[in-house]
Amino acid sequence: MKDAIRNMFVMIELELRRLRHDRTELYFRAVQPILWIVVFGPVMSSVRAIPTGGIPYTDFITPGVMIQSTTFLCIFYGLMMVWERDSGILKKLLVTPASRYATVIGRSMASGIRAIFQALIIVPVALLIGVRFVPDVGYFALAMVIIFFSSGGFAAISIFVASFMKTRERFMGIGQAIIMPLFFASNALYPVEMMPDALKYFSAVNPMSYVVDAVRGLLITGNLSGLLIDVLAIAVFDAVMFIIASVSFRKIIE
Amino acid sequence: MGVAVDVTGLVKVYNGKTRALDGVDLKVEAGKVFALLGPNGAGKTTLMRILTTQLRPTAGVAYVFGLDVVREGSKIRRLISYVPQEMSVWTDVSGYENLLVYAKIFGIPSAERRKTIDEALAGMGLAEVANSLVRTYSGGMVRRLEVACAMLIKPKIMFLDEPTIGLDPSAKKVVWEKLTLFKKEYGVTVFFNTHYMDEADLYSDEIAIINRGKIVTLGTAVELKHSLGGEVILFSLEGNGVGDELIEKVKASVLAKEVMVSNSELSVLVDEAETALPHIIEILRSTGVSTGKISITKPTLDDVFLKYAGTRLETSGRISEVTRMRDMIRRG
Repeated sequence: MKDAIRNMFVMIELELRRLRHDRTELYFRAVQPILWIVVFGPVMSSVRAIPTGGIPYTDFITPGVMIQSTTFLCIFYGLMMVWERDSGILKKLLVTPASRYATVIGRSMASGIRAIFQALIIVPVALLIGVRFVPDVGYFALAMVIIFFSSGGFAAISIFVASFMKTRERFMGIGQAIIMPLFFASNALYPVEMMPDALKYFSAVNPMSYVVDAVRGLLITGNLSGLLIDVLAIAVFDAVMFIIASVSFRKIIE
Repeated sequence: MGVAVDVTGLVKVYNGKTRALDGVDLKVEAGKVFALLGPNGAGKTTLMRILTTQLRPTAGVAYVFGLDVVREGSKIRRLISYVPQEMSVWTDVSGYENLLVYAKIFGIPSAERRKTIDEALAGMGLAEVANSLVRTYSGGMVRRLEVACAMLIKPKIMFLDEPTIGLDPSAKKVVWEKLTLFKKEYGVTVFFNTHYMDEADLYSDEIAIINRGKIVTLGTAVELKHSLGGEVILFSLEGNGVGDELIEKVKASVLAKEVMVSNSELSVLVDEAETALPHIIEILRSTGVSTGKISITKPTLDDVFLKYAGTRLETSGRISEVTRMRDMIRRG
């Protein structure tokens, strides 16, 4: 466990150093969520078809698209670890004293730091077009912490999925195939109550719904009634994904 | 001097069908530079990955400094360092930052970190480019950075998988000069894989030749070449290949110690080339085999390889492939 935490901090440091040298990826990745809140949000809100509980539609989807873009990033971060199998980085990390579980968890969690930066890029754009955030620094910080901790689980999902793949070419498609169902079957763009029953059940086990709910409560509505359950769900999700990813990691090595 | 690597009956089967290692027995003394020489697919990398605790053997046992690779992996990983064949540094941060990340993973105390990293970089001649992004390094510099990384913890044994693959001769020489210096200073055991004959010949204390998952022979470069003895007459053949019958004929007539055919070349190992040559030419003529160039040499490791493995080390295609891969990764 100590190793995992140390590994996590070293990998976070590596990510920060990478970002210091080159942030273009974050900017490009910000284009899509910004389109959602600048174009999709205002257009849909003029239709007034979606019950958002009294808040403007663009405000409602801002946490959703934020989480969509951070999740996207984390999924690709996990896939990148597998790409590192083709290079020697993964092999070398496996020959360090830390256990391979520490390597998997540490690297997965490091995706969280990128996710936070990704989320932060969206904030000023949202503010510009008039999204009103809850004016509380503590709430905002807590939202970032939640984004950070949920990221590790999403990165771990992709490690698990990637362990079935042998070539890098399939990564792009697989990334989309993981992310889009999670996104559309969550409460990111519309309340769960609007969904058909089957989707409601899926949404109940969709980790993205819990993350969006927590972040929406903290950033937009200020309604924290579901926060405890959200945090618990995220913790369980992380734990389960770390175990699955660690087990499937063997396949990636061989 | 103790035993650094001790392997008995090691077998590795991938996916229940590919037999990468087929009963390897091997002992490497501590403090030596040991070369594992073999063509691609011979099992070199598999053996190294088992010794560095990345893979579990299917059968057999392997010890590194007396520690079992399966049960005592984490202890072994504190003693060893490893440079994989593929590129293993991050290209989007500087050389210094790469080593810093590893220094932290290895748990080098913060007070010593800076000094250790600077020493490793200076030792590999990278002090001047320490703060440049690795993306801007040449292939040789990347390789030296990887070796510098392996030197950080002053390991008891270094595992290098094809340490100079794809490097030009001068870059190759620099890597080995630095490695030799490091070895002298710290007495580290070096275990490296290669398919470059000259590399094994020049830099190793001992060589094992591996082919199809088995160690076929082992000794110093001099011993191995002496084991063939005499001289090698090499005929480049034109037209049709040679039949077994002809080989037997040559063997019988001039008391050749060994007759080997590979591609369109016939190598005949004899005690004395001068007396044997006319006889062989006579036989070739009488059987209608026409020859081009004829040359006489002392046995090389390549001949040793040909004798024990039954094939030459033809690897150029594979080298360019790895070089291309490394380039691709470097450019991102």
